[in-house]
Amino acid sequence: MIHDALLVLWDCSQATRKDPVVGPFANDGDSEMYGRICEIARSHHKIQNFVEATSFHARKSYSRPRNHGMYAQALSEGITEVLQSYKKTLLEVEGLIIGNHKYTLSFVYSYVEKYRGLFNTLSRIISTIKERRLVGCQILSLTHQHILNGNEMVHEAIVKIFANINKVFVNQLCSWLLYGEFKDPYGEFFICASEKEEEASDTFLSSPTTDHDKSLVVTLQDTALDCGYNLKTNMIPYFVPLSLAQEILFIGKTVILFGFDPSKLKRHSSAPGPSSSMVSLQPFGSSDARRFTIWEENEAEFHEKLQSLKNPQEFEVCNLRNVVREIKECVTKHLWTVAVEEAQLMHELQLMKDFFLLGRGELFQELLRLSSHILDNPVTRTSTRDMNHAFQLAARAVYLGNNPDIEKFSFELPYVKPNVSNNSSIGDDSSSASDGWSCIVLKYQLKWPLQLIFTPEVLARYNDMFRLLLRVKHTQRDLHRLWKTCKQSNSFEMCQLHNKLTFLVDNLQHYLQADVLESNYSRLLRAARGTGDFDQLRLRHHQFLHHVLSQSFLIASMPSSSDSDAGDVTQSPSSPVPRCVLELLQLCRSYCREHEARADTPAQSYCRRGRAGRYNVLVKQLMELLVSLRSSESGVFLSRLLMRLDYNRWLSGEARLTHSVTNMLR
Amino acid sequence: MPSEMITLQLGQCGNQIGFEFWKQLCVEHGISPDGILEEFASAGSDRKDVFFYQADDDHYIPRAVLLDLEPRVIHTIMNSPYAKLYNPENVYLSKHGGGAGNNWASGFAQGEKLNEEVFDIINREADGSDNLEGFVLCHSIAGGTGSGMGSYILEHLSDRFPKKLVQTYSVFPNLDEISDVVVQPYNSLLTLKRLTESADCVMVLDNTALNRIASDRLHIQNPSFAQINTLVSTIMSASTATLRYPSYMNNDLISLVAPLIPTPRLHFLMTGYTPLTADHDINTAPKIRKTTVLDVMQRLLQPKNMMVSLSPDRAAQHCYISILNIIQGEVDPSQVHKSLQRIRERKLASFIPWGPASIQVALSRRSPYVHSSHKVSGLLLANHTNISSLFDRCLQQFDKLRKREAFLEVFRKEPMFKESLEEFDESRSVVDDLVQEYQAAATPDYVHWNPESSQI
Repeated sequence: MIHDALLVLWDCSQATRKDPVVGPFANDGDSEMYGRICEIARSHHKIQNFVEATSFHARKSYSRPRNHGMYAQALSEGITEVLQSYKKTLLEVEGLIIGNHKYTLSFVYSYVEKYRGLFNTLSRIISTIKERRLVGCQILSLTHQHILNGNEMVHEAIVKIFANINKVFVNQLCSWLLYGEFKDPYGEFFICASEKEEEASDTFLSSPTTDHDKSLVVTLQDTALDCGYNLKTNMIPYFVPLSLAQEILFIGKTVILFGFDPSKLKRHSSAPGPSSSMVSLQPFGSSDARRFTIWEENEAEFHEKLQSLKNPQEFEVCNLRNVVREIKECVTKHLWTVAVEEAQLMHELQLMKDFFLLGRGELFQELLRLSSHILDNPVTRTSTRDMNHAFQLAARAVYLGNNPDIEKFSFELPYVKPNVSNNSSIGDDSSSASDGWSCIVLKYQLKWPLQLIFTPEVLARYNDMFRLLLRVKHTQRDLHRLWKTCKQSNSFEMCQLHNKLTFLVDNLQHYLQADVLESNYSRLLRAARGTGDFDQLRLRHHQFLHHVLSQSFLIASMPSSSDSDAGDVTQSPSSPVPRCVLELLQLCRSYCREHEARADTPAQSYCRRGRAGRYNVLVKQLMELLVSLRSSESGVFLSRLLMRLDYNRWLSGEARLTHSVTNMLR
Repeated sequence: MPSEMITLQLGQCGNQIGFEFWKQLCVEHGISPDGILEEFASAGSDRKDVFFYQADDDHYIPRAVLLDLEPRVIHTIMNSPYAKLYNPENVYLSKHGGGAGNNWASGFAQGEKLNEEVFDIINREADGSDNLEGFVLCHSIAGGTGSGMGSYILEHLSDRFPKKLVQTYSVFPNLDEISDVVVQPYNSLLTLKRLTESADCVMVLDNTALNRIASDRLHIQNPSFAQINTLVSTIMSASTATLRYPSYMNNDLISLVAPLIPTPRLHFLMTGYTPLTADHDINTAPKIRKTTVLDVMQRLLQPKNMMVSLSPDRAAQHCYISILNIIQGEVDPSQVHKSLQRIRERKLASFIPWGPASIQVALSRRSPYVHSSHKVSGLLLANHTNISSLFDRCLQQFDKLRKREAFLEVFRKEPMFKESLEEFDESRSVVDDLVQEYQAAATPDYVHWNPESSQI
């Protein structure tokens, strides 16, 4: 009987069957006792099965599909370790029993009874893993949840097991953080090589596509370091906050980026979404030297600190966070040196402002003179070449021809076959949709590692801004050129219309360039000077861009009040303000074209009256919009534009909106 | 190089302020009096080429034409350290050197006579530029050469270069003191007609106000010509700052002028400047004053900083047609909006009731080579209806003389006035119309205003 029990406990014979043999028991109590022993044995058996299934050998032999990885193996090893004491106890009991046959079942039970709690916990863990098909960090997380246990022995055992799993975790973390190496053959880490469809599951990206723009800052940041890695949110251990996980992700990505040879990076950035193998292989190449310069002397220190986390007593979230913070600081400092000092980020920022945001007015003034005929016409195959030629001429004319920065910029006018209407962006008539103004792209050759800040997404946004500013400047220039003609004509009406249009465009430009760009840019520069942290700077830059775009109505940061056709999140002026502004610009353009073509005729004065009427309608509409949108997020900025336009309260008087406008500006 | 400006300096006054202007530009761009770029200025990102061009030997040469009928001032210039700066071919002195005798008619007639030679120079200079934007004419309206010959050139510039802008810096005579030029009211009125009809933009430099500023604000007893001219050159250089120091906007003259001048004839601009310091002040008080944009913009709206003396007209509610502030120095751009708002709230400036108008603010860099004790300085260019009071005074003075038929014989000597004095009456009616129009522009009915109806 006792031997039976021992065998069962050793897991040598099956205890699974409900024991029918009741006879040989000395008494009823023994039967009960045996039942209890069998219960323990059963849990042990279950545990043992799990251990075997997930052990190293099992994994190696591929007998099962690869649903158990390193973490499960570590768990099984941990369990094995913990079971050692159980086995020792059994040996002890066996020895005692062999020495003395008088011992009863209850004697055996008294030895193994204390393992009940442990086995219960373990089997709970195991069944949870099985039920929920937990893998990797989830196992870590689960084990961690069981650490706090009133039973001293269980607690210690779980700590031991956790230490085992934690070792795997820390090793992975260590190689990711310090070397950017992504060693995760079983997909167990909370970072994964990203695939495009991953984005849908990212909970921190706001899921409905309609308010894509709202999370622009997030999106911009997210894409900033996109070198093929992403967070797997469901894998993040519960004790690691999302922010910390993101920091960890950031560090690894940065380390990988440092590993990139600039020339190689350029090649790869063109291919969207490089496969994980390509990326992870890349750093091992020629540029190991570069990678290690990040840490300088700190590598050993960080390594040690990370390794010390293997000790479960040490493994506290705050400790982890501290180490990660330290490493991150080191990384961002290094990034700062590389990006800000070596690649002269500040200078590049200035260039972005000078070119994309038309900071160099004289250059673009000249460029417009040379190229407006190119941009007025539909794009042809040679447009790009002509445009770049004009750009070079303009640069030479303002004595920038020898400036090395000029060469970094070039224009592109994507040629589209005329019958294919690609342009869903502007809902105007087709003639304007295909001209150069709406599709011109300013391209910029970036110095490594500035791709971190100026990602393709960011550059596209800059281009949106560029197109708007160029359009405004062009309109303004045309209107100004007509000034002299207007002066010579005797028609007051014409002067007045011209004056109104000029006033509107001038003030729009002042608003965009001074109120929006200059003040945001100066804020950015102030922030940049104040910080030594690259990540901070990056964030500031994205905020800058976000503010600029939303304040110039290029993205609808206000809830589209009425007919929101917010399906496309491109530069489409889906919200009413930019549509109105664009229409006004269009009106100015048609006015200018008219005047260039003909002299003062009766027909023209008829047209003029029509335009004046249209102007009044549009301005009234704009004013109403600006007033009605004042409560929204960008209302402050709308009111700035409104104040400029309505400085002498003439427009509001005209539109009979005086009351509400004065309220708004108060 | 695009948007070049050619400066025409006419007569004694024109050449003097022109001389000061070029001196100032040379200092601001780091160009030595010989036209050679100083060592320290070689890396500048300023645009010297708007006002200068480079000769084959790298000398910077002003795009300036110096014209006079008497040699005194031009000789002074040619004996100054700046003699080598100018292109000698652009310095034109009338051969007989007798001047115009402070007589508009004589100046006008001589202008007609020298027409070919003068326009040869101007044409050559215009051909030498890539994309000429316009002309700047410096002259006084009271004398003989500047006013008479200036008028002739003005009339013909717009014929010959119909697409180019013509901006003038016109010095108006000091009406507080008795002038040695007795026919000054005649000269002024005759010139005013041309300024009204042929110029695109007139910067009014009122000697009355300049003298007042020199004595009241700078505490100079009996200010000299040189001191007054420094004030003028400060204004001239500041008003061209956005052209010379490229920024995101106002890169050409038209973008400065067009928003300021909504209607064709109301193109007389006043200027204001702050802070005003005389030379000796800078040496004695090197302390840096902290100035905000709002301070500057508010001060610019105060009449005491205005370089035109206006007599307050109780009858009409005068107002600004438009304002442009050019602010130089280190300025926080976000302050601009707040200042605008403050000014609007406090109603510090009243605007026309018949159209949109606002204060535009252009921020500009300042020369890194000029050290000023002031962090921020501002220039105001304003189109104000009350400038008509200045013309009104001219009219009154004219009428006084005309009634007495005084000093008319000097004019009768010239062919233009031999037959009749119609020209006087014509000019008077033009200027009178101008005054009427300015007064009408202060009322909402300006929209329906036309010169014919006002004459009834």
